[in-house]
Amino acid sequence: MTAVALDRESAEWLRGLQADGPEREQATERLHALLLRVTRGEAARRRSTLPGRALDDVDDLCVQAASDALMAILDKLNTYRGAARFTTWAYKFAIYETSSRLRRHAWRQQKVEMDDTIWDRLPDTALPPLQRLERDQLMAALERAIRERLTERQRMIFQSVTANDVPIDVLAERLASTRGAIYKTLHDARRKLRQALIEAGYGEELTV
Amino acid sequence: MNDPRLAKLLGSADTDPGCDHAGELMDEYCELVLRGEPVPERLAEFVTHIANCTACREDTESLLALIRDEEKTDER
Repeated sequence: MTAVALDRESAEWLRGLQADGPEREQATERLHALLLRVTRGEAARRRSTLPGRALDDVDDLCVQAASDALMAILDKLNTYRGAARFTTWAYKFAIYETSSRLRRHAWRQQKVEMDDTIWDRLPDTALPPLQRLERDQLMAALERAIRERLTERQRMIFQSVTANDVPIDVLAERLASTRGAIYKTLHDARRKLRQALIEAGYGEELTV
Repeated sequence: MNDPRLAKLLGSADTDPGCDHAGELMDEYCELVLRGEPVPERLAEFVTHIANCTACREDTESLLALIRDEEKTDER
């Protein structure tokens, strides 16, 4: 990415955080306070997604998220190129740390389970009989591809995310992985399944 | 793919850079959207990713909501 001229506020943030001694300390404290406000705001926004029992620990979680976001920002400060304002760039770290924690928090008492019958129970839209038959055949081909083409890990991640709505951050935690790595597995599984459907003659349905 | 169920299962076949690369572009994308500017071609892969990845889509929506709120506060 090419470096661009920074706006005054972004340049001030950068100068403060790259300075030495008290100036850096002051900028860091100011940034931490800002990030804490963002993490608390994000938690308030997502409050309705949390089960009642999970609400007690939310503020601790926001404090941890703000601290981890601050660490990540300081660590990646030299990658900031000014494509957006500094604060917007910094906020995304706070949002990532908060949202991933909240998703894991909301799921902490739920199991991630495999259920091969899930594909028979996916909600279907009302279709005329002929279209329904075609759609059932396509879904049968997809189910076969899931069984035959995917590795066990790909099958587990694909089913959890697409059919059971398990957040990718929850899987990342349970599988000691990262959001990016879990998504890559999902992406590879989807690509294999699309290819299998094309080979089975359903290419048109995938592009329409 | 116009079947929403199939779209949810298989995602888009367009090039998708994944969560890490999309995360690098999220702030730039949100500011463009906030300013009402068209999203340039080089961010097309980011747009594909947020259509495919619920977590990154939600994070993008959160960032957008946050900077929109700040903008409104600044205007007052």
